[in-house]
Amino acid sequence: MRNRLAGLFWSLLFLAVPVLGVAVFAVAPSIDVWLPKDVSAHGKEIDSLFYFILALTGVVFIVTEMLLFWFIWKYDVAARGEEKATYIHGSHTLEVIWTIIPAVVMLFLAIYQMNAWADVKMRRPVMKPTVEVVARQFEWRLRYPGPDEELGTPDDLFLVNDLHVPVDEDVLVQLKSMDVLHSFFLPNLRIKQDAVPGMKIPVWFKATETGQYDLVCAELCGWGHYKMKGRITIESREDFDAWLEQKYREQEATQPNPQEDML
Amino acid sequence: MGCGQGRLVAPTPDREAAETLRVALSSEDASSDDGAGAAASTGTGWGTLTGRFVFVGTPPAAKQLIVDKDTAVCTAEGRKLFDQSLQVDESTGGLANVVVFARKVSRVKEREIAEEPLVFDQKVCEFLTPVFAARVGQPIDVRNSDPIGHNTNVSGTSFNQLIPAGEGTLFTPSRETGMPTMVTCNIHPWMKAYAVFREDGYVAVSSADGSFTLPDLPAGEEVELQVWHERSTGPNGALGADMPAYDWSSKGRFTVTLEADQTTNIGDIEIPASALGG
Amino acid sequence: MNLPSATACKNNQPTTTAPRLSLACLGVCCLLPILAGCGQTPAATFRPNMVESAKQRLQPEQEQQVATILEAMFGTPDNPVVLPETGLDIAKLRLAAGPVHSDIVGRKNGLFREHCSHCHGVTGDGMGPTAAFLNPYPRDYRPGWFKFKSTERADKPTHADLVTILNNGIYGTSMPSFELLGETKVDALVEYVKYLSMRGEAELSLMRYYFELDDEDEGKLPETRDFLIEEILLPVAERWQEAEDAVIEVPEMPEVDLTESIAMGKELFYGNKANCVKCHGVTALGDGQANDYDDWNKVVKQWSAELQSAHETSTSDMTSEERSEHRAWLAKSDRVLAGDALDPRTIQPRNLRQAIYRGGRRPLDLYYRIHAGINGAPMPAAAGTLSPDEIWHIVNYIRSLPYEFDGELGADRSMVARDRL
Repeated sequence: MRNRLAGLFWSLLFLAVPVLGVAVFAVAPSIDVWLPKDVSAHGKEIDSLFYFILALTGVVFIVTEMLLFWFIWKYDVAARGEEKATYIHGSHTLEVIWTIIPAVVMLFLAIYQMNAWADVKMRRPVMKPTVEVVARQFEWRLRYPGPDEELGTPDDLFLVNDLHVPVDEDVLVQLKSMDVLHSFFLPNLRIKQDAVPGMKIPVWFKATETGQYDLVCAELCGWGHYKMKGRITIESREDFDAWLEQKYREQEATQPNPQEDML
Repeated sequence: MGCGQGRLVAPTPDREAAETLRVALSSEDASSDDGAGAAASTGTGWGTLTGRFVFVGTPPAAKQLIVDKDTAVCTAEGRKLFDQSLQVDESTGGLANVVVFARKVSRVKEREIAEEPLVFDQKVCEFLTPVFAARVGQPIDVRNSDPIGHNTNVSGTSFNQLIPAGEGTLFTPSRETGMPTMVTCNIHPWMKAYAVFREDGYVAVSSADGSFTLPDLPAGEEVELQVWHERSTGPNGALGADMPAYDWSSKGRFTVTLEADQTTNIGDIEIPASALGG
Repeated sequence: MNLPSATACKNNQPTTTAPRLSLACLGVCCLLPILAGCGQTPAATFRPNMVESAKQRLQPEQEQQVATILEAMFGTPDNPVVLPETGLDIAKLRLAAGPVHSDIVGRKNGLFREHCSHCHGVTGDGMGPTAAFLNPYPRDYRPGWFKFKSTERADKPTHADLVTILNNGIYGTSMPSFELLGETKVDALVEYVKYLSMRGEAELSLMRYYFELDDEDEGKLPETRDFLIEEILLPVAERWQEAEDAVIEVPEMPEVDLTESIAMGKELFYGNKANCVKCHGVTALGDGQANDYDDWNKVVKQWSAELQSAHETSTSDMTSEERSEHRAWLAKSDRVLAGDALDPRTIQPRNLRQAIYRGGRRPLDLYYRIHAGINGAPMPAAAGTLSPDEIWHIVNYIRSLPYEFDGELGADRSMVARDRL
């Protein structure tokens, strides 16, 4: 009797895994522990890919977990007595099936997502960089090209951590790293790209809504990784231009507090 | 380094005493000044103190300085620059560049602060006065007699100024230095001098023959003086000497009582080589 | 804390027990400190300025007196106290001090330890755990020297100057920007930096004062209000307060054509009057002077040289008592040099071709730097030697340097390093 209870315990424990797993996913969105708000043009596609793969792996997860439970339940020694297990060498057919099915699924995913990948990583808009972002321990150094749209000229605007971009326009970021690996992560824009020292990596996106969101480092880059936090402000073209102009004026100040002088 | 490995255990504050002291410091009326500080004046008149520093032993050969810049000017025609920290007169053994200043005097004779600037010059990449003294408020004409630019950096003061070739600039010390402070040129890092500024002007630097003269000190009462030398192994450069008659301490201090309108000579003060770092 | 377990294990090892036991012992030894770490950590303490203490040859009871006086005047890292004479705001200090925690209204406290102390140290001595890995080293606030400010060379920075540094970070060093913390927090941190700096300077004054004592003081500082407030605290605190009204007046940039101004600036840069070239190099790559030290490193450099010669000094004419005292002092000093000071490093003149300006890139910032020099660094002041117009010309030239070869701003091929040399 005691052994029977033990078998019951283990099978139910394994049953709890799929039940709780599904419950967590079902509850999470309603308590706001889910994907952050998407404000990018390409984000919908990324999200739908995410949901599609989640559904696919979710089904497989539930089926395998249920099988695991069923086998423990069914072949419990205490319930079935001293019946011996038979030795089989294996089933060639079965192995072929469970190799081909995942391979087909993988291949399908690879082809199915190709367009989304190309959008984010290959079809770079033909334009000059909107801003250069240089990641370094532990901040984001920004450089805007200024009115001449060329980086590396005297009208460049230098800032730190406070990234501004115009809404509804293609934005091209030129990403560099000064020291170690960092990762330029804009959760609300569904953008995550490693910054590699010695490389100049283009990153592009189009924001669809104004607002302020996080810019964080998503690659453990040292002991101060946690403080490598910036902010992205998405604003209308007019606001963006006015902001650039204001910042440039501050950068070119020849007297303390030019704002006060103007008032 | 930095991991605390082998770090000395630091003394911990006495919590209770700190608490009591804090209360005392916070109350405005708890002033406990018992009128100490300036000693009461007992004498009258003014006297002059002289003496002579003598180096005992054989002075070590001066180290040659590494000159790696502006060599066309600094080491033209194979000229070499030497460390000037120990200057001993060959014939008399006099020790130059010892600073003597009054540490405690009960009264100060009123004298005009010289308006004529004291010249502090640099030539062929050396400061011409390796140790110089001035009274607070006396202007110093920091000159550059070289055809190349220098900067003069008086540590512990606000002064670190560019001195263009052949020009000069005025610097008026506004605070006492305590012990002499280092003067450097950052462009030519081997250049080094010392400056001492005193409020009362009772300060002298021993000359090439080792002698010094301090006039107008209060007479008829004890005067405490402080002695310094750049190479001294004593604390903060304080120069000790074996002169028990003047209570000469290891902190480089001694006391004398002068007679009015007289010059008191304390004679030769013997400084062993070991007191100046061998 | 792992000491008892370690000794227990050592006692076990020499016995004939199977190696398995010692292996288990090793495991326990490794685990215990981790487990012990979960318990109470000792309260944070300020580290005394051991370098100055060793330099001044202070006795342990004198070190303790300094620590006690400082605790009375400034409190502890967890519980700061300020006397009204400092002009510091205790409410701001409380926000920055102490361990990281949220207070009753959910406001984050302990900002200094959260954001600053791993580099600058709990004491503000620039010797936090990560300090040794950084170049340049983090700032040691204790001598009270600050580089990037709008006041004259020897003056303190204004509150706004320090806020700017925290907001912008110092590009070219390891100091990042803290602007996104928000005004209140940055303000509190600046106040705390001032507090640590005042405390450090007061400590230096106290330690140096032992030398000034008379024999009848018996090596003890007077603990009177007159001495501690008037002689020690006020001279420091007043200079911080005076800084607010001591901002350098900047005359307007002369109305000269920019190209012309740059040409004049260039002349000054290479000329004998301003002499920038001597340190910043003929190429302006900052390679003109490679063997100088800043004042912080110089303190350690000079002291270690002094110590070296003290080691070489003959002890033959010392009495046996003096000799043992001398040796004890040397032994202590060696340990202080190893554990309480970072290896001195030379300072690099700024490479002016990178468009990286530590103290800010505004023309105004560069004007301040050239006018007043940089406190603590070899950079001398030009005010008095150069006219304001001349300083502006140099500012314009310096700002053109990163772009000099672009053919836009008075470019000139002879400026290529190889051609000049």
